[in-house]
Amino acid sequence: MMDLHAVPRKSPNSAYRVYDGQATIVLPDRAEVNVLNEIGSLVWERMDGARTVAQLIEAVLAEYDIPPESARRDVLEFIEDLRQHGMVT
Amino acid sequence: MFSTEVTADPRCVRDDFVPDGSYFDQLEEVFGASSVVLRIGPLEVLLEGLSPRQAEDLGRRFRPFVLGRAACPQISIVVRPAGVEDFLRVRSQGSAETYRLESRRTAEGLTLWSYEFAGRLDHSKGQAVLGIVEEQGDRFDRGLENFLRVLTASYILERGGLLMHASGVVRGRAAHLFFGPSGRGKTTVTLLSPGDIVLSDDLSLVLWNGERFEASGIPFGMAHHRIPDTADSFPIASLNGLVQSQEVSRERLTGARALAEIVASLPFVMQETGQSERALEVARRLLQAVPAYRLWFRNDPSFWALVEEPSR
Repeated sequence: MMDLHAVPRKSPNSAYRVYDGQATIVLPDRAEVNVLNEIGSLVWERMDGARTVAQLIEAVLAEYDIPPESARRDVLEFIEDLRQHGMVT
Repeated sequence: MFSTEVTADPRCVRDDFVPDGSYFDQLEEVFGASSVVLRIGPLEVLLEGLSPRQAEDLGRRFRPFVLGRAACPQISIVVRPAGVEDFLRVRSQGSAETYRLESRRTAEGLTLWSYEFAGRLDHSKGQAVLGIVEEQGDRFDRGLENFLRVLTASYILERGGLLMHASGVVRGRAAHLFFGPSGRGKTTVTLLSPGDIVLSDDLSLVLWNGERFEASGIPFGMAHHRIPDTADSFPIASLNGLVQSQEVSRERLTGARALAEIVASLPFVMQETGQSERALEVARRLLQAVPAYRLWFRNDPSFWALVEEPSR
């Protein structure tokens, strides 16, 4: 699992569009189409190859009223999930 | 995404033949000196190098889509004997395998190959070479049609349209598209619409004419080899993701979920990141212009009452 200082990057093999606040992500290599929820889409959009995991957690906390500890856990698990699905490197 | 299945002959477990650039350069023979021009939506395709019999067969099978002559075909395809027995060989022994299609993009253009054909398309020149393993019969038909399917999907996408895995039915001059994977009822819906114009029971073109999205059939889209009633296009009134059920109902599909369902119904163009990006954008525009629904239907025409309701 990534740590708070890691810088996750969108896979260059993914294609996506954000529509009505939610991201639809296509992985041509895997013939998969994935839909992220609103908070996941926010993390995805902010994942610019410069922000650390800690900064992504801060971005979520700035937009949503969520306890910091659960935001930290959820974002870490979410990014790990994206990584295992080949959407993040 | 592409639903054709091939049942393996247990004897056919050999290596694939991968066509490289030199393979196409050394193809010289043609089947004959005849030609046919097909109109597929906005695309005019000139097929050259055909034998008189091939040209006659194509002219008969694709009749609504055959033009007398090409004003200015966007793509010219020279059809040649492949000189090999197969390109891809069925891998499995005795069981079905999903239809395989390989592709490679190089400076020379896009190369596609499958079991019975290999083709190379130079987009910038609008020229293609197509090698087919047999002169007539199912393998000739399948090779030609599958190459044209992929070529059409790629061409239409570049012009802001889509080739959708969807049946299309026109009622009251408005087209309704019914999409979903094989077995969801795309053909069934067309059979339950006997008085209507059927554009396709398997693959429909979604075209952007600069003002609105329209649908038309393609000559080789039909899973059961039924040629569409017309080559005309019609404004699209609804997109319907099919679910077979005992009840008849529908609900609006919106947002990212709708977008995901549409792009999951696009054969051939979701295998490369660049084309996937483009397809997502075209699908997003389509959903802004045309309502999409999940449609539960049973084996009778009662679903039409819902489909014809004004959008909500």
